[in-house]
Amino acid sequence: MDLVLQLLFTGIGIGAVYALVALGFVLIFRATNVVNFAQGEFSMVAAYLMVVFAVDHGWPYWLSFLIALGGMALLGVIFNLGVYYPLRHRTFLPVIIATIGASILLSNSVLAIYGPQPQVLQGWFETPGIQLGPVYLDSQYLLIIAVTIALVIFNYWFFEKTLLGKKLQATSQDKEMASLLGISVSTMIMITFIYSAVLGGLAGILVAPVLFVSIQMGSTIALKAFAATIIGGFGDVAGAIIGGLALGVIETFGAAYISVPYKDGFAFLVLVAFLIFRPQGIFGERVAEKA
Amino acid sequence: MPLLEIRNLVVRYGEIEALRGVTIAVEAGQVVTLLGANGAGKSTTLRAISGLAKPTSGEILFDGESIAGLGPEAIVRLGISHVPEGRRVFPGLTVKENIMLGASNRKASSAQISREADAMFDLFPDIRAFADALGWTLSGGQLQMVAVARGLMAKPRLLLLDEPSLGLAPVIVQAVFRIISQIRKDTTVLLVEQNARMGLSVADHGFVLETGRIVLGGKPDELWGNEAIAAAYLGGHAKASA
Repeated sequence: MDLVLQLLFTGIGIGAVYALVALGFVLIFRATNVVNFAQGEFSMVAAYLMVVFAVDHGWPYWLSFLIALGGMALLGVIFNLGVYYPLRHRTFLPVIIATIGASILLSNSVLAIYGPQPQVLQGWFETPGIQLGPVYLDSQYLLIIAVTIALVIFNYWFFEKTLLGKKLQATSQDKEMASLLGISVSTMIMITFIYSAVLGGLAGILVAPVLFVSIQMGSTIALKAFAATIIGGFGDVAGAIIGGLALGVIETFGAAYISVPYKDGFAFLVLVAFLIFRPQGIFGERVAEKA
Repeated sequence: MPLLEIRNLVVRYGEIEALRGVTIAVEAGQVVTLLGANGAGKSTTLRAISGLAKPTSGEILFDGESIAGLGPEAIVRLGISHVPEGRRVFPGLTVKENIMLGASNRKASSAQISREADAMFDLFPDIRAFADALGWTLSGGQLQMVAVARGLMAKPRLLLLDEPSLGLAPVIVQAVFRIISQIRKDTTVLLVEQNARMGLSVADHGFVLETGRIVLGGKPDELWGNEAIAAAYLGGHAKASA
């Protein structure tokens, strides 16, 4: 039982990272009808930005954190203007290929600067963790879970309670109608890219101390997050979060009870099972209703 | 000077010439109805006015200023609100949210917009009970009411209504037209209809479009009075929908 609680904690912690990246996937997909294959690279770039400021320059952690997130917002703007905007009137295929191209560009740029050697980023806290009864709570995982909970609440408030959130939703549901009402569609899409880049960056910064900071970390996280969106129900915000958490828990339990080397395999086994038996995902019906 | 004046408007979709020189005028305070069969170019005319379709040539003057070539976001800010074909109510937003977004063309606090949306239910009492229902749950008639209410939230000087009666039961069509006759007290309306009898019943002036050209224009009585033309362009539809 103690082990189960411990694994549950770790699983939710890593799942929260998948949830944040999955949320970025879903928001961009809903706004542009395109899957952004560079979403994982947002996490990777942000983690390297932390290495640049907090490790190489030795700046305070919080300052590096704010600069890195600011950098991600800027990357969101550049990504929107450089990758999506010129192709916005084309079909989804050129846009998807452009996002794959951007993903390769980002990871190879970082490779050119830092080389293939993984980097190490310390966690936010000096204290490694606290013992709560039988469960050891790693401080970085606690931070990940706390930030994710805060962001889910923020996300709900933003999209459900503010007029800007409603305009973003309207834009994702019917761009032409939104423009007829005077909603600036290009501004809404810009906001979506900035928000998604920051979400992805946050996930990368949070998970970096748990993993190594490497060129591959983006694609690993993105694949899991993509699987999470399918398990949750593609295009559904709640589905992305639940799917991400579920995936984190499943792979943690799979690694502990079945096989550690096949840890990454469990996520995709679950994905395949969902694609066969419930392709619409957990929250699938609500996606169908939007049509 | 008319509120809206269109001169020799040509709109092409690729090879197809949807409008081949349309000229109409809408005076302030009028309801003008644009009649015609499917594919005659009625919707294209409205889409060109609201900026959804780019004119190939010709002029669109609103209040004397050219608006041809402006984007839809800019045009709705000038005071032209387009309620398009198919209602286009956002399915994942509630009725009240849909109506509130109608005010996106002007600056107002969300509290103010919320109050105005509540007041809109006085004009559309049938949808008041559905204020918190999501768009996709509504019937066709309710969707039409929401779409018109949302269009009015822009406080337009000119309201473009595209086929408000399409696919609705006769009793609902009557309700929609009762609302149009109320709206006309404050707002100029350019109405597109296939249902000639209903369309002309509220109109000060009517135009008949055929394959991208205006073939007839005049007061409703004159249009009905012209036997041959009424039979060709108006009669069939009037009988079918009566």
